[in-house]
This record gives sequence, structure tokens and C-alpha cells, in this order.
Amino acid sequence: MTADPSLSTDDLTKSYGDVIALDSVSLDVPASAVTGFVGPNGSGKTTLLELLLGIERPTLGTVEYNGPEAVRRFGYLPQQPTFRPGFTVAETAAFYAGLVNDDPDRLLDTVGLAAVADRPVTGLSGGMRRLLGIAQALAADPPVVVLDEPASGLDPAMSERIFEVIEAIAAEGRTVVLSSHDLPLVERTADYLAVLESGEVRATGSPASLRERTGGPLHETFTSLLAGETSVVTGGSDE
Amino acid sequence: MTTVDRFWRVFAREVQAAVRTRSFLALTLVTGVAIFGVATAGGGPAGGYVPTVVDVLVVVEILVPTLAFAVGYRAMADPIARGELDVMETYPLPTWGYVGGTYAGRAVVLMAVVGVPLAALGVHVAMTAGPETSVFASHRGVDSPLLYLRFLALTLLYGLVSLSLVVLLSVIAGSRSRALVLALAGGLVLTVGGDVAVFAALDGGLLTSDSLGGALAVTPAGAYRGLVFDQVLYVAVPTRSSFVSGWLATTALVGWWVATLAGAAAVAHLR
Repeated sequence: MTADPSLSTDDLTKSYGDVIALDSVSLDVPASAVTGFVGPNGSGKTTLLELLLGIERPTLGTVEYNGPEAVRRFGYLPQQPTFRPGFTVAETAAFYAGLVNDDPDRLLDTVGLAAVADRPVTGLSGGMRRLLGIAQALAADPPVVVLDEPASGLDPAMSERIFEVIEAIAAEGRTVVLSSHDLPLVERTADYLAVLESGEVRATGSPASLRERTGGPLHETFTSLLAGETSVVTGGSDE
Repeated sequence: MTTVDRFWRVFAREVQAAVRTRSFLALTLVTGVAIFGVATAGGGPAGGYVPTVVDVLVVVEILVPTLAFAVGYRAMADPIARGELDVMETYPLPTWGYVGGTYAGRAVVLMAVVGVPLAALGVHVAMTAGPETSVFASHRGVDSPLLYLRFLALTLLYGLVSLSLVVLLSVIAGSRSRALVLALAGGLVLTVGGDVAVFAALDGGLLTSDSLGGALAVTPAGAYRGLVFDQVLYVAVPTRSSFVSGWLATTALVGWWVATLAGAAAVAHLR
């Protein structure tokens, strides 16, 4: 994608028995930019994110981290973040911040949860749980933040708020990698996109360059790519 | 900040969570009622420390693994199911540090649930038994609080070993429902499985009566029972000698402890 990637994958493959979750994916994740992985359910987005993080081990291929050395290289928001019951928002933030000598109040301020610091985590809405998950992901100020479906299942207003937070943390110069089904918000936020289907990368590029392929909004490009219009894919792919 | 500092963070959170969990307090009370009930029914406290240990030994041998499973079966299954273990991989805390901190926190809980009622029973014996039991004996054939302290220490060690096995099973399970099933199976194996296997081997000719003591000493329950007999009960009965080797039983218990904890950390790392 660019000459300055934070992460690079080479022939990255992950299989579970006979099922290939990810097939020979080679791509670069540019530094200090937002990269979005889009694709239908089961296309391999989460597997790719987990391989980038090192949570999953690849069957074949490699992931190379080229970012700066840091106490914590990656921040990570899992798809359905849940927190240990019995603790408040402030205590939960303090636990994660305490692991890396960070300030929990700073983390909560960043995501706008300072006002509910005394609320039990079990009393949080789904959106607030995501925000607390993002706060946790920002502990130690990692250079790369990976967010798996940060707004899935949320109402439009909360989705908007989540993406505003993502834009704010990206504006501080971090590399952000996210997966999402919310194409309008991804199109607005992401600098680069990778479209995945059946474990393969169908196309990569900026939202504008992908949109130009069909001349319409991003969801039309997305639909046409997944419908197998290979001429569109091969005609303008950055890979 | 070091890995040890982060280990203590995980440990402190476990203890803090336990302090807020009233069911652990209830568990301690129920354990106390059970132990005092058995001891009182047997009349041991009026006779001294060794008679009390004789009364409660069988119950404690079953109760300790059961309590360990109650305290620890969700210790790692819940964080795995919540995705917390995945998130932790992005922090500069090795998996063994997280597993170890979680284990240590739960161990404190188990020590309280098991140790407080047993310590209270010891105090009860001190107040109800005859004056001859109040001396700290330095020679065989005399009942002594020291013997009860040995029993308490061995029981807590048995609890630590049981809990480490539970934590291993919790990591393997990875979900609360599977953890419950594995915990029940593990409890059965720990409490009766070892003895059954040894006696089956004896019946099948794989063991002889000469090697029986050694075989019993390598199972956690057999090692604990053997050490209690060797270090507590037979100390007060000069004419009896141990049925298991003390060093072998000690080595076996410590071996089970270290191996299962290391196994839990390794399985969590490889997940």
C-alpha cells in the first residue's frame, strides 16, 4: 500500500484442519493511518487481525512488525469485549493501566467514560463496553491499535461516537487497524481498505480508489467485488 | 515496572474479587460447620489433637479437593471465554505471569476457606482437651499442638496441589460449562481415582504388596494421607511406622504441584 508499513504480511495462511481461514495473504498496513478490513462474515477478518497481533500462530507465512519499539506494541479491542464482573469502570481501567504504569483517568477521558467511572462494568451498555475496551487498548500508548468490529450491533449514534473516538486516536499518529461491516463509517474513517472474501484479499486501496471502480458508493464496490467481478478486482488492485 | 509487579497486579485483583464474593464467606462457614460437626461427632476435640485429626482426616481428604474445585474451576475458563487472555497477550506480561497471579490469588482464597475452619478447630481443641495436649512435644508418643500444625500445613499443601490441578483443567476447558464437567471429573480422579488405579494395579499383578506403599505415595491423595500418618498420627504412636516413604510422598506432592502449574501455563500459552 505504502512505503512505510507498520505491519507486513507475507503469504499469511491459517487453516484449522481442512478449513482454510486465511489463504496466502500478503499486504502492508501503513503507519500512522487507519486501515479497514471489510468483508462478509467468515471472510477471515478476525483471523487476520489475530495473526497480526500474534494471538494466533500462522500455519504458513509471516507477519513483520516494523513500528517503533514500545512497552506495548499493540492495543487490542476484541469483537465482544467483556470485563471481570464485580469491578467498576475506574477499577477496571486502573487494572489495565496498572499493568503498564499508565494513568487510568487519562484512558477514561480519552474515550469519554470519566462520567461513569463509578459504574459497575456489568451495568454498562454494549457501546460503553466497547469504549472501555478501547480505553484498555490505549493503555501504554501502543503505536498500533487493532479493533475488531468496534461498532457491530450498536445503534447509529453509538457507532458514530465509537468512530469519532477512533478518528481521534488515529489523529494522534497511531496506526489503527479495524474490521467492520459499517461501510459508510469505514469509508469516512479509513485511509486504506482491504476487501476480504473466503480468506483471500480481493482488493486493496484507498476508499476513493475502490469507489472509482464502480463509480458509486463503497457498498456498490463491495458488492461487485464479492459478486466475483474479477475484472473490477484485477483492473485496479494495488496488490 | 517488572513482570513481578504485573504478577502482583493480577494476584491483587483475584484477592480483591474474592473479598467481594460473599459465596466464599458462605463456603468457609459451611466448611467450618462440616469439620466441627465431624470432629464433635467423633469426640476427638475432648481427646486431643491427634484424636481430632483421626476424626476429620477422611472428610478433609475429600473436602479439600472439592473446595479447590469450587474456588478454582472458573479461574482460567472465564478469562479465556471473556477474551481477556487474548487481550493480555498484548501486554508485557508473560502467560505464566497471568496464570501464576490468578493461581496465587485463588490459592489465598482456598487457604482461607480451608485454613480458617481448621485453625478454629485447633483452637477449640486447645480449649476443650486435657492439659497434657498443651505441650509442644519434641519426642514421639505425646499429643501436641505441633502435630496439629503439621496436619494443618500438610492439608494446605494438599489444597495447593488440588488447586493447581483445577487451574490446569480450567485452562484446558476454556469455557465455564466444560470447566464444570472437567472439574467434577478431576475431583473424582483426585479423591478416589488414584487409590482405585493403585488397587486395580495390585489386583492385576502390576504391583506387589512391597511396592504398594510407593505407588500410593505418588498419587496426590495417597501422598497427603501417607504424610499425615507419617508426620502426625504415627508420631504419637511410637510402635507404628509409616506405610509410605515420607520423602517420596513429599516429592510426589511437590512434583504434582509444580507439574500441573507449569502445565497450566504451557497450555494457556499454546492456546
